[in-house]
Amino acid sequence: MMEEFLQALTRALSFGTPLLLASLGALVNERAGVVNLGVEGMMAVGALAAFGVASETEAPGAAVCLAMAVGALAALLHGFVTLTLRANAYVSGLALAMLGLGVAGLLGKRYEGAILFEPAPELPFTVAAGALAVVLWGFLHATRPGLVLRSVGENPAAADVLGVNVMAVRYLAVAFGGALAGLAGAFLSLAYRPAWTDGMTAGLGWIAVALVIFVGWSPLRAVLGAVFFGLLYYLQFRLQDQSQVPTELFAAMPYLLVVVVLALAGLRRTQGSAPAALGRPYHRGER
Amino acid sequence: MVRRQVLLLALLALGVAGSAQAEEKKLKACFIYVGPVGDIGWSFAHDEARKLTMKALPWLETQYVEAVPEGQALPVIDRLVKGGCKVVFTTSFGFMDQTLEAAKKYPDVVFAHTSGFKRAPNMATFMADFYQLYYLNGLMAGALTKTGKVGYVAAFPIPELKRHISAFALGVRAVNPKATVNVKWINAWVSPVKAREAAEALMAEGNDVLAFTEDTATVVQVAGRKKVPGFAHYSPMHRFAPDFVVSGQLVHWEKIYIDFLSKVRDGTYAPGKLKDVDYWWLLRESAVELGGQPGLPINPKYVDALKKAQMTVGGKQVSVYDRVMELLKDMSSPTPTFDPFTGPLQDRNGATRVPAGRVMSPQELNQMQWVAPGVVGPVADEPK
Repeated sequence: MMEEFLQALTRALSFGTPLLLASLGALVNERAGVVNLGVEGMMAVGALAAFGVASETEAPGAAVCLAMAVGALAALLHGFVTLTLRANAYVSGLALAMLGLGVAGLLGKRYEGAILFEPAPELPFTVAAGALAVVLWGFLHATRPGLVLRSVGENPAAADVLGVNVMAVRYLAVAFGGALAGLAGAFLSLAYRPAWTDGMTAGLGWIAVALVIFVGWSPLRAVLGAVFFGLLYYLQFRLQDQSQVPTELFAAMPYLLVVVVLALAGLRRTQGSAPAALGRPYHRGER
Repeated sequence: MVRRQVLLLALLALGVAGSAQAEEKKLKACFIYVGPVGDIGWSFAHDEARKLTMKALPWLETQYVEAVPEGQALPVIDRLVKGGCKVVFTTSFGFMDQTLEAAKKYPDVVFAHTSGFKRAPNMATFMADFYQLYYLNGLMAGALTKTGKVGYVAAFPIPELKRHISAFALGVRAVNPKATVNVKWINAWVSPVKAREAAEALMAEGNDVLAFTEDTATVVQVAGRKKVPGFAHYSPMHRFAPDFVVSGQLVHWEKIYIDFLSKVRDGTYAPGKLKDVDYWWLLRESAVELGGQPGLPINPKYVDALKKAQMTVGGKQVSVYDRVMELLKDMSSPTPTFDPFTGPLQDRNGATRVPAGRVMSPQELNQMQWVAPGVVGPVADEPK
């Protein structure tokens, strides 16, 4: 029984790691008021970049760095379209998700099916993700830059009046979100399943987006949420034919739970804990 | 380098064919793949075969379309036929009905569909089937499991997989009558994340040998990481975990493609004559091969263990190793005497499926919905 519990916990932590990394990134850019639904795409290009570097040079450190850089670049594209050009953030994010998957699939052709013979260990990623959650919590709630970031997400006009460069903060937050999505991708292709396959992100980016809403934009709750969603994913296989519940339900659970969370917030006629200016473009002098 | 050689050869062949024969004598064959060609799985194997076929048949011209979703074969076929394809190979079970539809639409084009069971006057079916190999791998798995539980990650509950899992389970139980084959479905051909978690779940349930039918090398990687014996599927995966890949299934589709296309060219398989053309090629035709890489039927690291493991055959004790080798030789011969699906056979619910002395026909195997005793796990569309 104990062994079974430990195994389930191990799986939840392993599967939860990319979820936590990506959702911490998305959480930060959403706390700054920017929605980026393109997590799946950024994760995919990150995974490919990491795998490419690791298989050519066998330097996992460089692979991780490049994955984060590529993820950040992809996110900045979204930033440019939504912040500077003020296009619809939801459409742009969806486009980024598809673009990232497509580009990764195309550029990854030469690596298709290849594996890494020296896989990276999973544990450092998991530990880093957990530590990052705590650091981010501290950053958001106990530091001045954290306060600035939150204010930009809650009331950009007021922040602007106080002399905050709203645009710069939002760009930084978006790039941070992309870098963490890229890091999540690197975890997938270097450690979790050290290989490259087109579409290997397998919808994890979407679960990460759902997770941010589910945990109410809190980095600490994101840790629990990631472990919980990781556990659900594992149970869909572990409980196959061992319970009366159809295991497909476990796979659908993250999305169902988000619907429930949103519905509850709606019933209370609030936005839940969403940042007040989430998804709203800001331009000085407009309301 | 290899690619350059292939190109050179193809160019050479082109030159020879071009000078010696008129242009219209070229035959254009097109291939539709369900996955990307580099996926080291099913589609990769078909594309490797296409290249070998090109090499072998200088008068052949080919084109392929990869990663075609199962519902979207028809528009792709339209495009290929307009582009001059005279022969179209559709290489996934899910393309079956659309291939049939296309065959009606284009009566002058020859169609050949893999792994299905529907034919038309201009539509043949072909399959290089693994069930004999799965049985042999099952024997080895049965010998190597210490817990008596063999894990199996499976893509979809279609007849092909039920046949393979059943053959595997029959092999496992021939060595260890109490052993079980525990199946987890991932409902995907290519999903490394699901395959990983399914394999992890199997390990958690005490399975100490892993086998699979899906299109990635994930399960072999998990076996390598967890240091348990595993079996490769479809591609040479030995190198991915050299100490832990015991054996596996390898395919040589080119044997079928070369034979089929040669007969199309000489008129044997003109449209209208294909109603009864069904390739069901096995070890005898060398369309399939036992092993985790070509030329290596059993990983030398496991030979000793397999020689020590004993099983009873016809009242006599033999080593599992000898039994595998003997059956491999028999089934590879021109007149095999052994078939894993020889009656009497019951399904796992106890109903008799094959009476004593009878061997299942390819058609029965192609439509098989029941599974053999020893298979544990939910199985969709299983007859009660």
